Amino acid sequence: MAMLKIGRKTRSAVLATSLFVLSLATTAVAASLYFRKTSPPPQMLVLSPKLAHYRAHADQYDTVLIGTSRTQFHIIPDAFESTARACGVSNVYNFGVFGLTGAEQDWLIDQVTTIGKGRLHTLIIEEPLPETRAAADAINDRARFFQDPALYRAHLDSVWSYSESAAKRVFRTGVFAYGTAFDLSGIGRAASRFFPEPAPEPLRAFSMREDGFEALDDLEKTTADIKARNDAFRADVKGFETTLALYAAPDDTNTDRRAAYIAAKLEAINARGVRAAYFVSPDLKELNRTPVVGERVRDISPKFSVLNFNRPDQHGELFQRELWADFSHLNRAGAAKLSVKAGEEFCALERAREDNRLAVR
Amino acid sequence: MLFVELRFFAFFAAVFAAYWLLKSNAWRKAMLVAASYLFYGVWDWRFLGLILLVTFVCWAVGRAVDPDHANEKQRKAALTAGVVFSLALLGVFKYFNFFADSFVDFAKFAGLPANDVTLNLILPVGISFYTFQAISYMVDVYRGQIAAKRSMLDVTFYIAFFPQLVAGPIVRAADFIPQMDAVRRWADVNVRWCLALFLIGFIKKACLSDNIAPYVDVIFSDPSAYTAASVIAGVFLYGVQIYCDFSGYSDMAIATAGLLGYKFLANFDAPYLSTNIQEFWRRWHISLSSWLRDYLYIPLGGNRNGAVRRDFNLMTTMILGGLWHGASWTFVIWGALHGSALIIERTWNKLVARRVPKFGVLGPLLGMAVTLWWVHLAWIFFRAADVASALSIMRTYVTFASDGTAQLPIQAFALLACLLLAHWIGHRMKATEILSRVPTPVFASGLGTAFAVAIAFVPTGYRPFIYFQF
Repeated sequence: MAMLKIGRKTRSAVLATSLFVLSLATTAVAASLYFRKTSPPPQMLVLSPKLAHYRAHADQYDTVLIGTSRTQFHIIPDAFESTARACGVSNVYNFGVFGLTGAEQDWLIDQVTTIGKGRLHTLIIEEPLPETRAAADAINDRARFFQDPALYRAHLDSVWSYSESAAKRVFRTGVFAYGTAFDLSGIGRAASRFFPEPAPEPLRAFSMREDGFEALDDLEKTTADIKARNDAFRADVKGFETTLALYAAPDDTNTDRRAAYIAAKLEAINARGVRAAYFVSPDLKELNRTPVVGERVRDISPKFSVLNFNRPDQHGELFQRELWADFSHLNRAGAAKLSVKAGEEFCALERAREDNRLAVR
Repeated sequence: MLFVELRFFAFFAAVFAAYWLLKSNAWRKAMLVAASYLFYGVWDWRFLGLILLVTFVCWAVGRAVDPDHANEKQRKAALTAGVVFSLALLGVFKYFNFFADSFVDFAKFAGLPANDVTLNLILPVGISFYTFQAISYMVDVYRGQIAAKRSMLDVTFYIAFFPQLVAGPIVRAADFIPQMDAVRRWADVNVRWCLALFLIGFIKKACLSDNIAPYVDVIFSDPSAYTAASVIAGVFLYGVQIYCDFSGYSDMAIATAGLLGYKFLANFDAPYLSTNIQEFWRRWHISLSSWLRDYLYIPLGGNRNGAVRRDFNLMTTMILGGLWHGASWTFVIWGALHGSALIIERTWNKLVARRVPKFGVLGPLLGMAVTLWWVHLAWIFFRAADVASALSIMRTYVTFASDGTAQLPIQAFALLACLLLAHWIGHRMKATEILSRVPTPVFASGLGTAFAVAIAFVPTGYRPFIYFQF
């Protein structure tokens, strides 16, 4: 009799717990998806004003660059245009966004090709950053916006193609899963809708005078963390040479997969009737990786122009210490030099491709 | 670690499972002590030593004041030493800078030479609560209400039990110690009542208090920018915020302890429905008000030595009660405002009340309105950063005049009306009782759904409980 009673109690507890978990999960996910669908996108630093500007002036731009802070701070549209005009580039928009990840880039490519349809003819992309490995960065407003179920595949593709060890990729997948669970729990969705901040902090103003370009040395005057990075760079004189040495020891972990991932993006852009190209920016800390990926992309997809500028052996003039603001970014002078060269190189590569195409014909 | 954080849920699930799997009462207590120290250590492990010190003194004094073991003189001396030690500890960590600053200010005002003397001390979270519990234990043993514990583990458990460790309720030794002697039985746990109470507490804290806080913050940080209606709404919203914050914490603490088989007394009972200040203090932070009554007001003489002495005792108790909340003149004024109201009420009741008609149902309603108004007038001092800004808000609160033009959004006003209504409905309907009676499958599904909806209303970015700072 006692056993029977215990059995009944256990069954009842299991049933109650299951019902609790089921109703909690169902309601939370439904509420989260509902609020996602009905809420406006959050105000995202740099990304939101740049997208708004592009939306308003898409008819002016025939060429767009989408990339990370190395696009944002390195490509001056006017300088790029000055040397790329010969190959049909008349007005360039810099859509570089600091910290841009793979899924975010896919979303932006989709936005830009849709908004710019008819006018846009060239889209140059840079390799996005890997998905975050920090739990806190997986749950902020920007991360949550891009935790859209429609982008899950893009997130996972980005994680599993990145050039690093399997253990690190598993960890990154775990952080992505955490961010997804956090988002699907719906936490804060109703709170931000019904109880908006009474005095929200204004977003940093973003000047569009240079078509989306910002010079890191201009920001340095106002932003404490950029200034700190710049100070650290200036103080570490030997560090520049040491970091340059990375180029001599390339890390080819998983570069084929990463190159295939980027090639697929280029193919997708091409499939929308837009000319695609790949830009590898100078970046001291990535000297052992991005040049290798760039060359692999060139091998896999010869039909796309690859502007591989993270090669001190070929572009030594860009690797002068006075052109750098920190270990990952050029200053305005460096950006100006790179932009002119990038326009030239783009034209040269496009002409060579065209000649090649005619020769084959 | 906060009750509304995900890590607390993981922590509690582990503690809950381990606790009920253990059969021995001693092992259960040992496990809960370890869990409680972990709970506190996550905040700041450095102050665990302080809790241990208080516990040791409390245990030793308990043994020394036990009526079976010592003569009256020794007992009194031991009790005095124990209480002085506890208060001295509180004084050093919480009040040293306040009294030093005040002394220096006074000396400068009087034209005497004085140097600034402040210590760079961090206020250990929960110190006001666990020192009061320690005093409660020593006094209850001295009074013979409970026997002194031989085992230091028992005293450690009483002081450190994690549901009440950092923000109360202040659990009285005479209420708690007898519970720990017997093995708690799962069959005696009203699981549904506990879960419903936890959910209500969670909603109060995470969904209401934390969403109201930004509106209150903007009003109190720049009152002169807002219209009189917004400033007054901001003051009342603070009343709602602090109630939801603290009573929410108490609900979750009571529910958490309940799921481990321990019963804490209620700490709040719809305080904003009180018709006078005396009733308010029987319904607000009950564990503190009854502690102050039994361990301060009555020992001071209570109302035994005439009206003047009674009023003095009342005012002293309320001012010290104010000071207990924080080392600042704003808290002293808050206590004094309540003390004055209590004295005025008693005088009114003695001299005037009998000659004034009762006005049927209107009388209590008027009493409620006046009480609510006065309680919120006092909250201005409780919340304001300093006396000057409190006076500025009070001016608008009393005169309905402000030069400001900014307005709180309309939902702030709607929210206020809804919450006052909910306060009344919740009190009338006894929601936890109703919820604990519905069939299990309905309850489980409803609880899951309610939690999911509540989670959507939890603002991202946790705010600590207001009472953690006390």
